[in-house]
Amino acid sequence: MVLRRLYTLWLTAVPRFLRIIVSRFLVFVPQLCGVLFITFTLIRLLPGDPALTLLGNLATPEAIAALRERLGLNQGILQQFVLYAQNVAHGDLGTSILTSNPVTVDLSERAPATFELIFYALLTTIIGGLLMAALAVVHPRGFFDRVGQLYGLVAGAIPDFWVALLLIYVGFHCLGWAPPPFGRLDTFVNAPPRCTGFLTIDSLLVGDWQAFTSAFGRLILPVATLTIVNAGALMKMARTVLAANYNSEFAQHARACGLRERTIVWSALRNSLPPLITQIGFLAGFLLGGAVLVETIFSWNGVGQYAVQAVVRSDYAALQGFVLLASVFILLVYLAVDIIYELADPRIEV
Amino acid sequence: MKPVEYWNKIVKRPALLIGLLLLLVQLAALLFGPLMTPYSPVEANPLETLQAPSLQHPLGTDVSGMDIFSRIVYATRINLIISIGAVGIAFLVGVPIGLFIGYYRGLVSGLIMRVFDFIQAFPVFVLGLALVSVLGQEIWNVAIVLAVLFTPMFARLIRAEVLSLRERPFVSAARCNGATDRVILFKHLLPNALTASSVQISISIGMAILLTAGLSFIGAGVRTPTPEWGLMVSDGAQQMILGVWWVSLFPGLAIVLSVLCFALLGDQLKTFFDPHSKPANIRG
Repeated sequence: MVLRRLYTLWLTAVPRFLRIIVSRFLVFVPQLCGVLFITFTLIRLLPGDPALTLLGNLATPEAIAALRERLGLNQGILQQFVLYAQNVAHGDLGTSILTSNPVTVDLSERAPATFELIFYALLTTIIGGLLMAALAVVHPRGFFDRVGQLYGLVAGAIPDFWVALLLIYVGFHCLGWAPPPFGRLDTFVNAPPRCTGFLTIDSLLVGDWQAFTSAFGRLILPVATLTIVNAGALMKMARTVLAANYNSEFAQHARACGLRERTIVWSALRNSLPPLITQIGFLAGFLLGGAVLVETIFSWNGVGQYAVQAVVRSDYAALQGFVLLASVFILLVYLAVDIIYELADPRIEV
Repeated sequence: MKPVEYWNKIVKRPALLIGLLLLLVQLAALLFGPLMTPYSPVEANPLETLQAPSLQHPLGTDVSGMDIFSRIVYATRINLIISIGAVGIAFLVGVPIGLFIGYYRGLVSGLIMRVFDFIQAFPVFVLGLALVSVLGQEIWNVAIVLAVLFTPMFARLIRAEVLSLRERPFVSAARCNGATDRVILFKHLLPNALTASSVQISISIGMAILLTAGLSFIGAGVRTPTPEWGLMVSDGAQQMILGVWWVSLFPGLAIVLSVLCFALLGDQLKTFFDPHSKPANIRG
């Protein structure tokens, strides 16, 4: 009885957006535990002593004994997990063999570079994908429809690392307008004081125009790579959804009422939002995976390149940290997607 | 139907024709690779490094003087075996699991679904990277990791079909006739539920080729000097800035054509089984 009354109170008194956010966070916590469990078991999948694995072959016996103590390897597996979760909660992800820094420090130094790349790639992919889809839907059998069909077919089949190399060859070697693919800034440009970690934003904040153009120029090729490879899937999906809405009865009605074409396209786009939001959430995950490859090619020095170095040098503490960061990022994206999805479609019951 | 009628049907669909042709080329490379190649795929010739494409070396040579054409042909074998093997394992494991969790709904099935949700929530490439580096960078480990990543997809497709099929009258009729669960599952449900996941096989092989190549490219998959397409692209990555384009271009083109082939065939299978469906997406 009390439960039922509480439930009706929840449905009536609490505003809808608050209900959405609270219910999503309730799912988020067990998901987070699951992620922690995966990164925890990752190291323990390896044969041998986890302490030895984490410290590498050059570790002293004292260091190994100390780490064994700290990881609680002498205790049961459950206690080990609790200890691991506690360490993570305190921001302790272990020490990287490669840089001999705490993994937390390494990751927080490099994360902004990756997120800046993913952010701009996401922006251009969404704009490009939706624009192509809209043009194809508005003019069926037109130029954009045909080109889009071919592009949608091929885009799924091209490897991102290959596109990056081709862009470097054409843009840097042949045409010469692209900056060399080494890092986020030109050699003699000083980095702006760090505020957000996004070089383009930081440089604008202090009015450093030179740093801004340099950072912007360096972004062009990697962002173009990720866009070319990922916009195809979004475009195909958007075309299907948008076409259904654009040719639907409400759009016909709007047309019959004499509304402008632009208004009709906008309202079709608005109605296509929910499935598109889900697809954009997946897109963020693909971009993160793609960033690992693209960062390596452009010496971006972000977390993706860090992960690759960790894999090649068997730096498992660093790898564990990266997997944790990546999966928490994805969980947050999905959380945001779920919340926006339910906000965008008022028909969904929460 | 007579062979001529088959032929006429195929010619009417250029996508199918191109897909079949590409598949034929790959099969030829797979089976008769040694007969098609003028050089050994792993023999380095230090006198002929970084040669541009010529009559002697149709696609040029790489940094250590290995013939790129021969390596691409041989690599077909490794890439296809890994990809087809991985998808095969995923199919063989995923289908029974999907069948069971669709038919028996309970705590265990719910739990398995949550585990699948979880695997699929990770970005594929990141999870693949982590698993391969933990298991050790062997060819078979790459295949196993890809199989782990693909299994949930097949199980999910089968489960979705079974969930709707199990409520159909023919299942109740079978049960009334005294059919056991085993007979219902494998004789009545399985054949009816297979369509969607069979179509997915072809598309998944394309995905597996892309993932294998990506893993090898960053040094987490197949190792040198084994001929593998992604690895070959990475061999030429350093030279690309200097204008040596052929080392990376051709293996990458091989990846594109191979993935395209399986995507086209997958689309065709899909329209064959379900004429109203939309073409599938490789990424997402």
